[in-house]
Amino acid sequence: MAILPLVFYILAIVTITSAVMVVTSRNPVYAVLFLILTFFNAAGLFLLMNAEFLAMILLIIYIGAVAVLFLFVVMMLNINLVVLRQGFTSYLPIGGMIVLALLAEIIMVIGLGGTELKVTAAATSPISYQITNAEAIGRVIYTDYVLAFHTAGIVLLVSMIGAIVLALRQRTDVKRQSINKQNIRLPEEVVELVKVTRGRGV
Amino acid sequence: MAITINHYLIVAAILFTLGIFGIFLNRKNVIIILMSIELMLLAVNINFIAFSTQFGDLVGQVFALLVLTVAAAEAAVGLAILVVFFRNRGSISVDDINLMKG
Amino acid sequence: MNLTTTLPIIAPASAEIFLAISGLILLMAGLFINKNTLKIISYSTIAILLVTATLVLIQSENALAFQALFISDSFARFIKVLIIIGVIFSIIMSFDYLKRSENNLFEYPILILFATLGMMLMVSSNNLILLYMSMELQSIALYVLATIQRNTLKSTEAGLKYFVLGAFSSGILLYGCSIIYGFTGTTSFNGIATVVSTSRSTSVGLIIGLIFLFSGLAFKVSIVPFHMWAPDVYEGAPTPVTALFTLAPKIAALALFLRVMLDPFRDLLISWQPLIVFLSIASVLVGGLAAIMQTNIKRLIAYSSIAHMGYSLIGLASGNETGVTGILMYLTTYTFTSIGIFSFILCMRRNDSPVENISDLTGLSDTHPMMALALMIFMLSMSGIPPLAGFFGKWFVFISAIDAGLYVLATIGILSSVISAFYYLRIIKIMYFEKAAQPLDAIRDKKLQLTLCGSAMIIVFFFFAITPVYNTAISSSILGFNLS
Repeated sequence: MAILPLVFYILAIVTITSAVMVVTSRNPVYAVLFLILTFFNAAGLFLLMNAEFLAMILLIIYIGAVAVLFLFVVMMLNINLVVLRQGFTSYLPIGGMIVLALLAEIIMVIGLGGTELKVTAAATSPISYQITNAEAIGRVIYTDYVLAFHTAGIVLLVSMIGAIVLALRQRTDVKRQSINKQNIRLPEEVVELVKVTRGRGV
Repeated sequence: MAITINHYLIVAAILFTLGIFGIFLNRKNVIIILMSIELMLLAVNINFIAFSTQFGDLVGQVFALLVLTVAAAEAAVGLAILVVFFRNRGSISVDDINLMKG
Repeated sequence: MNLTTTLPIIAPASAEIFLAISGLILLMAGLFINKNTLKIISYSTIAILLVTATLVLIQSENALAFQALFISDSFARFIKVLIIIGVIFSIIMSFDYLKRSENNLFEYPILILFATLGMMLMVSSNNLILLYMSMELQSIALYVLATIQRNTLKSTEAGLKYFVLGAFSSGILLYGCSIIYGFTGTTSFNGIATVVSTSRSTSVGLIIGLIFLFSGLAFKVSIVPFHMWAPDVYEGAPTPVTALFTLAPKIAALALFLRVMLDPFRDLLISWQPLIVFLSIASVLVGGLAAIMQTNIKRLIAYSSIAHMGYSLIGLASGNETGVTGILMYLTTYTFTSIGIFSFILCMRRNDSPVENISDLTGLSDTHPMMALALMIFMLSMSGIPPLAGFFGKWFVFISAIDAGLYVLATIGILSSVISAFYYLRIIKIMYFEKAAQPLDAIRDKKLQLTLCGSAMIIVFFFFAITPVYNTAISSSILGFNLS
């Protein structure tokens, strides 16, 4: 029995099914969980293609960070599920037809056009199976593609700045302790001794 | 039947079109739109790694790694924008975006 | 496999490296400055951008950097200077607005700075990887800038719309990149050009990849049929951010579009030329006709910028160096006209709150004659009346179309230019021939006054500077290293 095709078909079918469930779920929490399942199976597909570093990174970043972030936001927004259940199918027929046409065209040209996918140019950075995938990628990304790597770093910085600028709210109605401020406070600045005469106020 | 690169490309194509379909279908729920965009980027990653394995060339995997990074960054900013929108509007329906017409 | 142990060539990218490092330092500085943070950071950003422009202009030769990821040729330098001019003026124009809306986030100029870095890398990219990364850098910074007035509904709606459609188009662009990589085996533009020119028959897969890539880029340039997002986003974003959107990202995206079409895919010209002709006609007509019905001046500017991008595409349709020269001239005049128009829009206030309707301009010639005169100059320039700057931009683009034998295209371009003059003249009529209902406030900010007068003068006297600009444009119109 051939293991490889069997594993591929299982992973591929589960990926596609859970992607369908992501798109058609009414409940956003279910959608996020199906998204996580899709990512898991895609990581499995990556492993089948000998890209083990990227498969693990997919698990760490996409599932561990992005999907968890989605879940946070879904929980935080406290969405009214009743409203969400209406008006789902108005775009279904036309959108479905367009998408099916697009899919058919892509599959015809790319999926089945096997004769054209020959190696037409020498591999720029050939894969060597003597070293691990991580080391191989590291050798390439820090030498040939270092500009793209640094741009990715700046993209992450900008998205961090953006998320903080947009979403951070300073709450003015909550009292917070600042130990530093409490320690540098001098009694002369804060407390004032006043002699109060009898019968009069301050 | 042997698994060739075409199988992977077909899976990627299906995921990509599912992502596009999800954007058009879910007008009431912006979070699902954001998740559909993540599906599109996942499809592109599968494409890149499939081609990289076919050619024996690491460039595809490098590109996929960078796309992964940018997808995470974009998801973060998208969710921040969604949160700010929700605070102002109280709903996450795209159909409600009708302040500006014409 | 040998490890490369030598440092990559980085000298041609010195401007971008300086910009990135100074952006990081400025971000840190902004956290520690407590008083007048926004002012100090804004002025520092302008200073950094001026130094960056100098660094760009110092380079005089075409060079590849970073293992052929980055290219610095005269085309890229011309566009970078235009971008930096646009960004500097949009920051100058933003001081007054930000102060009055009590928005003192010092991250505003820093995000603009990183967006500029993305734009400069976009224009210089010689590889699909850098194309995508720099485009995302620019886009993410701009998504945040569109939503920066996070307490207003308009701004957040504009930001959400911009984000959804922008991320969608980035996904399509990236799918195209992956298919192109699959059918050529390389992501470098030089490699793709070699494959395209040496293959005997163009594979259908490559064409499909090109179509996806094209669609993603066309969205960023906002040409028909990917223009739907532009009017809503331009109207909803805060006005100085709209000014930035009109000036710099469009020019950068158009320059990238040019480079992608003319560098790796030049040999496929026969395939994509009719498509470009169709898209430019559609953009020019849709932008022109839809603008007639607008009542909000920011939406009007959005539609007119769609039409302007359509006119620039007429230069691309010819596919040769004359076309690129025409586009460069057009973009120069477009930059200065847009700076002028937005400095005017930012002056439109009544009782200290901004107004945006065209009907608010009635009788402006009686209440503020200088402002009305400036707007008249900008409107006439946009509609292409000689001897103002806009006329020369259109002249060079139409000449290049006629040169390439695209007579139908040139005719339709001229006709729609005449049609669109209608709505520009309508505004002039409203200003000069209608009675003022409620007058606008006087301009209080010196910077806006100076920008308004300065750009009006540049447009009027552009005729005298035309020869040196034209010569620079000619020498900047050869892209990449495949000098044919």
